[in-house]
Amino acid sequence: MEPTVDNVNSEAARLGKRVASLDDAIRAMAETRDFGKHTKLRRVLEALRRVLLQQGGAAAVQSRAQALEEAGVFLETDWASPEILIPSLVGPSLHSGDADTVVMEAASELRMLAVARGDFAHPTLSAEDARLFLSQVLATNLELLFAPISEAERARDGRTAELVRDLFRHLADEIGYDSILDNLVDEIWRILRQRPIQVEDVQSLITRIAVYRNDPDVALGVSSGQGIDRLITSLFGTTEACREDPGFDVFHSRLEAMDAGGLQYEASGFARAMHDTGLVSPYHAQLLRFLLRESDYLLAEALGLSDTGRNCLLRYSELVHRLIEVSVHPQTAQSVYGLALLLDRGILHEPPIVPALWRQLALDLSPVARDRLTAAFGDVPDPRARLVAGVLSMLGQPLGVGQGDNPTCQSARALSMWSYNDPDYLLQMVVWAARDDEVIMHFEGQPISSKESASGVASTLPTDLDPVSLLVVPHLDRIYAEMGRRCAGRPGDPHRWVNPEFHGWWTGRGFHINVDVETGNLVELDDFLRQFHASYHPSYNGEQPLIHPQPAGVAVTDSAARYVGWHAITILRAAPDPQDVMRVYFFNPNNDSGQDWGDGVVVSTAGNGERFGEASLPFDQFASRLYIFHADPLERGEPERVPAEDITRIIGYIERSWGNDRLPAGSLQALEGPRS
Amino acid sequence: MPERELGTRNPDKGYVALLGWSLAAVEALDRFDRRYIVVAPEWAEEYCVEHDIPYVPWNFERLNDRSMEIAETLQKEGVDVAIPLFEETVEWAGAINSVLLEDPRLYGQAMLLRDKALMKRRAQLGGIRVGIFEEAHDRDDVIRFLKRVNQTLLKLDGDPNDPIHLKAFDKAGCLGHRVIRTPDEVDTIPEEEFPVLMESHLDGWEFAVEAWVHNGKIKFLNISEYVTLGYSVFVPATPELERYRPQITAQIEKLIKAFDIEFGFVHPEYFVTSDGEMYFGEVAYRPPGFKVFELLERAYGFNAYHGLVLAFDPKTTEEEIDAFFPREVVDASGVAGCFGVYPRRRVVSDLRIPEQTEDDDYYESHDLSKPVEETVTKRTAFGTHWGLVYFFGEDPYRMRDLLKQQEELDFYV
Repeated sequence: MEPTVDNVNSEAARLGKRVASLDDAIRAMAETRDFGKHTKLRRVLEALRRVLLQQGGAAAVQSRAQALEEAGVFLETDWASPEILIPSLVGPSLHSGDADTVVMEAASELRMLAVARGDFAHPTLSAEDARLFLSQVLATNLELLFAPISEAERARDGRTAELVRDLFRHLADEIGYDSILDNLVDEIWRILRQRPIQVEDVQSLITRIAVYRNDPDVALGVSSGQGIDRLITSLFGTTEACREDPGFDVFHSRLEAMDAGGLQYEASGFARAMHDTGLVSPYHAQLLRFLLRESDYLLAEALGLSDTGRNCLLRYSELVHRLIEVSVHPQTAQSVYGLALLLDRGILHEPPIVPALWRQLALDLSPVARDRLTAAFGDVPDPRARLVAGVLSMLGQPLGVGQGDNPTCQSARALSMWSYNDPDYLLQMVVWAARDDEVIMHFEGQPISSKESASGVASTLPTDLDPVSLLVVPHLDRIYAEMGRRCAGRPGDPHRWVNPEFHGWWTGRGFHINVDVETGNLVELDDFLRQFHASYHPSYNGEQPLIHPQPAGVAVTDSAARYVGWHAITILRAAPDPQDVMRVYFFNPNNDSGQDWGDGVVVSTAGNGERFGEASLPFDQFASRLYIFHADPLERGEPERVPAEDITRIIGYIERSWGNDRLPAGSLQALEGPRS
Repeated sequence: MPERELGTRNPDKGYVALLGWSLAAVEALDRFDRRYIVVAPEWAEEYCVEHDIPYVPWNFERLNDRSMEIAETLQKEGVDVAIPLFEETVEWAGAINSVLLEDPRLYGQAMLLRDKALMKRRAQLGGIRVGIFEEAHDRDDVIRFLKRVNQTLLKLDGDPNDPIHLKAFDKAGCLGHRVIRTPDEVDTIPEEEFPVLMESHLDGWEFAVEAWVHNGKIKFLNISEYVTLGYSVFVPATPELERYRPQITAQIEKLIKAFDIEFGFVHPEYFVTSDGEMYFGEVAYRPPGFKVFELLERAYGFNAYHGLVLAFDPKTTEEEIDAFFPREVVDASGVAGCFGVYPRRRVVSDLRIPEQTEDDDYYESHDLSKPVEETVTKRTAFGTHWGLVYFFGEDPYRMRDLLKQQEELDFYV
């Protein structure tokens, strides 16, 4: 419907009225003393929402950003200090389904915009930072710009869904699209450098960008989106034979017409793209199936194998063929990457692995397991094939395991650790969970069945996980929680007993914690830090590199260095980085390890000697967030040699962050231990 | 910050004590130019200490032997006058002010204002029209009164009865207010509600007045129009009701004379019958419920609590208070109204503002909260609403219709 003049006039009049009401609400709040401001907030929020629902509302709110902040709308809320806000949290707020949260978040973005445009000289936030923040917000919420409102969104968010779309269009119009794309591409590369097993989100983002770039209405600057081509071509049009994304049938007939040289060219093209990005094109899966009938040489080429991998492939050719036949399909293309890395790790040479994989291929899944896999991934390929594909990914990418949006960091960490350190045990675990729908572990000689244990840490079954985690995590989670319950009544932190029993014999039986469980206060910091150096720092442990991955607990802090919660991680190694700074390299089961923990402590995931999937911090910064670690009590090290100034510096980091008020209701949380 | 300056206290002006805890009142006074102190139960202490709010603890139960203690405490503190915020603190204010202002009559006056039966008698003595009323001590009294009222109205057996109203003697507003039409309904009154005040029903137009009084003179008189009693109210009233302003003003002048009110604030309720006759309902010596103060601020832009302080403070000058208040009706920038929401369903799970309401240009805000319990307690008498929905606009008639429409909508589903 074309807007008529009358329509436009009445729309403008309506906006005018609503803005007048907003102004009065802001005035009333501004006049009110701090302790009474909350009584005036409701009216401001209602007025804001009503203005934002109107055309031109976002601009009206933007021009009142300073008045809103000065009236105290953001006071004592999460939005109080714009300089510490995190772009990645904007999306969840906007989709929270809570109208007030959405309105506050929208107002916060419009404040950023006013600051970025120089209309609001903010005391603590620069225009550049505001602009950067907004382009990151836009980049991570690209679907709000390009995708239509989904039914799910509509059901959850109601009318605010449209409000959010309007807001984003306004933001993008003001900030410009080019910068979004650059940031977006950087962001995708940053995530991919951590080589996660689950890449569905990244794939859908790349797909959307590809569509967007082909839209003639979108004018992109010449320089925008550096590196985007590589991402797009890794999924579509990777090689000559699928350049124009021709569909599987055409691709297949082209392969059939090729000679060995042509196939070799295709194989190495796909392999290069895969190892470059960690993404696998569905065409790559098809190529691999095709090459089963050709030669193992070409197969190795298509997997981009190292000498070790090639050796494994040739030695266990029949098994590898069978794995590809069963599990590698266009829908499970990512498992090609898992398979390649699995072969490169050489673990097929460990005696139990090959027979265990044969068992996996023939495994009969319980109805529960079939249902869960089908519900999460659909029924093509069938659940058994899906699970084998998942096993390949997990064995190939031990550090690519993620916990999804679930509080089950211990279970994710355990799966990762087993895949890394004890892969045949992992395969056994998968069989128990998938075939028997029951896992039994032992705690101090007593069996614990996942079936008999009532509840785990997670209250609902997770669905956003890789196939292996999807089946195994619910069992592990219940067992872990049950082990905790069996420690009830023991003095101190239950992880002392749970961690070694849960993860494996290699977990050090020496247990160090710097939080008093009763009071939540910090205790024996000096000794804790010296022992940590003596166990892990090569300069104080006799230059001994870490042998087995060790579970540890960290106090996660936000970008303002405020305590967020306890978290389970794995210490993988301590070593000097390329700049000769001693760093701790660790695995974080969070889906994105690159996190800003405040006070200059920024977890790095690439560029400081990290291997794919590793996170790292300088040794002292890592120590400053550590609260639990395990060590071998028989290996003494030289704790007394650690310089006092090193300890003092680390304690400084602690005092400026999570140790600051040690802790709000800390005793309870410490009792419960790492939860996520 | 600008409000710091607003809060600068003028030592030449009075020092007031607020009786009872009201965040809106405290917040308003904290940015006004008078010194103030909050007199409230101990549970308010933590909040007051945290926010630097001057405070003395006191439990307002029945007046007792210790009542002098708080009066003396406030006197020692240098307080000039006490302002009651709630019905329950009206008699305390009377007792305290009789000490602070050395005027023993103030206590007697407060007792009159606290007892609805005494209040009506006093009004009657002052030449003010009231309906028929009587005290009831048991159910038989109620039945007798219902019959007699209807006989007086020359109703025959079988004609539908005119209802009678039952109210607690000393409760604010609609608390304990019941309407009785038939003798059967009398049985539904719980024993513990007796004694009560019974009144004949006046088939008229009910409205309320808020009047600020200084030196025995009305300084600002607002007429609040009810759309449906217990549901909605708006200010200023429609021209239809405002045309009675001269008569209403005369009535209030009679009232403050009858009750010997020199200063402060009165909130009476009246009926105007179809022939233009005014009937007195009751009067309260404290701010009205239903957020009328907030509505006044929205419509006129003045803070009604500041007005309250000016009207109570013996050190307020005539010029000061005249300058403070705007002119009635003409100075209002619009009409502000609110609607009290009662869930209409028996089982509710969520709060949802109807789109029809939300989309209306007049809609502004609400203070409803999400339901805590799913089952809605059955309303006896006039229960308490679950919160208010606020509106603001230009046309009082449209406001009246809009508020009426809300009664047909579900806010809780």
